[in-house]
Amino acid sequence: MKNILISLFSIFIIFACSSTPVEKVDVQETRTVDLTDSSKQDDKVLMSDLDLGEAYVTVLFDYDDDTLREESLEELFAVSSLMKANSSYTLLVEGHADERGTREYNLALSERRAKAVEDFLTATGVSSFNIEVVGYGEEMPVDNSSNETAWSKNRRAELFLNK
Amino acid sequence: MKRIIFLFFLAFEFSADLVLEITESAIKPIKIAILEKNSNSFKGQEIINVISNDLKRTGEFRVLGIDELLSIPMNEDEVIQRDWLLLDVDSIIFIEVLDEDNALDVAYSIFDVSYNEIEDKRKVLGLPDSLRQSSHYVSDGIYEYFYGIEGISSTKLMYVTRNADTHKLIISDADGFNEEVLLKSNNSIISPAWSTDAKEIAYVSFENNRAQVFTQNLATGQRSLILSSKSSVSSPAWSPNNKDLAFTSTKDGNSEIYTINLKSKKITRLTENLAIDTEPAWSPDGRKIIFTSDRSGSPQIYEIDVRSKLKRRLTTEGNYNARASYLDKSEIIFVHRSNSDFNIAKLDLSSRNLEVLTSTKNDESPCIAPNGNVIIYSTKEGNLSYLAGVNISSKVSFKLPALYGELKEPAWSPFLR
Repeated sequence: MKNILISLFSIFIIFACSSTPVEKVDVQETRTVDLTDSSKQDDKVLMSDLDLGEAYVTVLFDYDDDTLREESLEELFAVSSLMKANSSYTLLVEGHADERGTREYNLALSERRAKAVEDFLTATGVSSFNIEVVGYGEEMPVDNSSNETAWSKNRRAELFLNK
Repeated sequence: MKRIIFLFFLAFEFSADLVLEITESAIKPIKIAILEKNSNSFKGQEIINVISNDLKRTGEFRVLGIDELLSIPMNEDEVIQRDWLLLDVDSIIFIEVLDEDNALDVAYSIFDVSYNEIEDKRKVLGLPDSLRQSSHYVSDGIYEYFYGIEGISSTKLMYVTRNADTHKLIISDADGFNEEVLLKSNNSIISPAWSTDAKEIAYVSFENNRAQVFTQNLATGQRSLILSSKSSVSSPAWSPNNKDLAFTSTKDGNSEIYTINLKSKKITRLTENLAIDTEPAWSPDGRKIIFTSDRSGSPQIYEIDVRSKLKRRLTTEGNYNARASYLDKSEIIFVHRSNSDFNIAKLDLSSRNLEVLTSTKNDESPCIAPNGNVIIYSTKEGNLSYLAGVNISSKVSFKLPALYGELKEPAWSPFLR
């Protein structure tokens, strides 16, 4: 499907010799790029490209914070033991943020949350080669509402095991 | 009945253009009337309609309707001055459609009522299908005549819409008409930015399951990935000379600010610390970059000299200041959290005076019109996100309501002439 949209776009000025200023309208095209019906150009080299199903573990965070909560540590220790016992297992950690604040800052914050999980696991002896982190910012909320209940669920890191 | 539903559906599908509403007008708008000179043509009325709407939308003009007038002159010689002084009209704009060779040129003159004479005459050379654009151009000329600031009716807006799983990057005229889809994707698109010459755009796409920055040529649709990395790359910003792109990446372990020369592909790292550094924006002269950093414990705005790499902190008030851009060399605007609300605020860099400009609650992504006088931003009410704006000098506010699920990430084009 080809979508060429002609738009009257850039406008430039021509000054005529007379005292009346004259301006001229010009035409420029724009073209639509449609990614929705094309297959992925990238090879599936990263874990984030794979469909790893449901998150194995989800840990939650406080507002504008990437510190692991004490309540999350037990589950993370279990993940650590499992990965150390099975060195072929790899782990994808996806970080997320709630909608408050700016998108780009939230992207960085979400990646740092994922990194906090990675740092914990490597500190307990898991090889960093087996962990991949990715930040999605506020782009993929689990609850789209604008209230504290939704926000607290959305400030999270999801751990996906690739066995 | 079936037919009616079908027609309704069609209307909904195709009238997707946005409609801008003024939410707060200027205290004392300039009163004018727009008339067609020596004629009453269909095209003339259409043009007058577009211009009237442009000027009304600024909130700084009161455009009188035909039924409000005491007399209707065909040209400047027929103006009965007393009638217009009674109505307190400042000026009459005479529009002349010169439809020779189907080119649709528009000549216009501004008749000052108190001086009782023509004060300014101009002409826009159009093209067969340029009725709206030619009219916007006239609007900008009129705006500049009265306010001394370049008008922005002939500029474009870029924004992202989301409807279920379909994300679209769109450009439209500044009034929301003539939408054109630049990119359609099943994944998020954020941070769109115009190149300085308005021929290309840059944006962050999650199409490969992580944040990547692409540039795209508007005319050809040709895209290029600016940096291939397994880490995230985001927040693109074109330098004023159009040669460099500033961006954020975690390629060296945590989010830092870099610049890349688009020709040589040479990358320069600007920040180096363990905190989040992101959202770079260039100063008008291209010598400095402001960015958001949480090195102090909360996000604040910092400025770095691109050459010397000397940094200084700009914001001190409040515990959340982010996504800044320069209004001019001495003022910046950004997202500021006061109490629990996120608003758009302005900071004077010499007096350090902070002024909150918006009264909505969840304001994001502020961006400035090329005339430096209008700010547009995205905001959210309930589950609906839409665009809103505020005029800095007149305090006029407006909104572009969403006809979609979500409307966000506005980016105002440079002047297109």
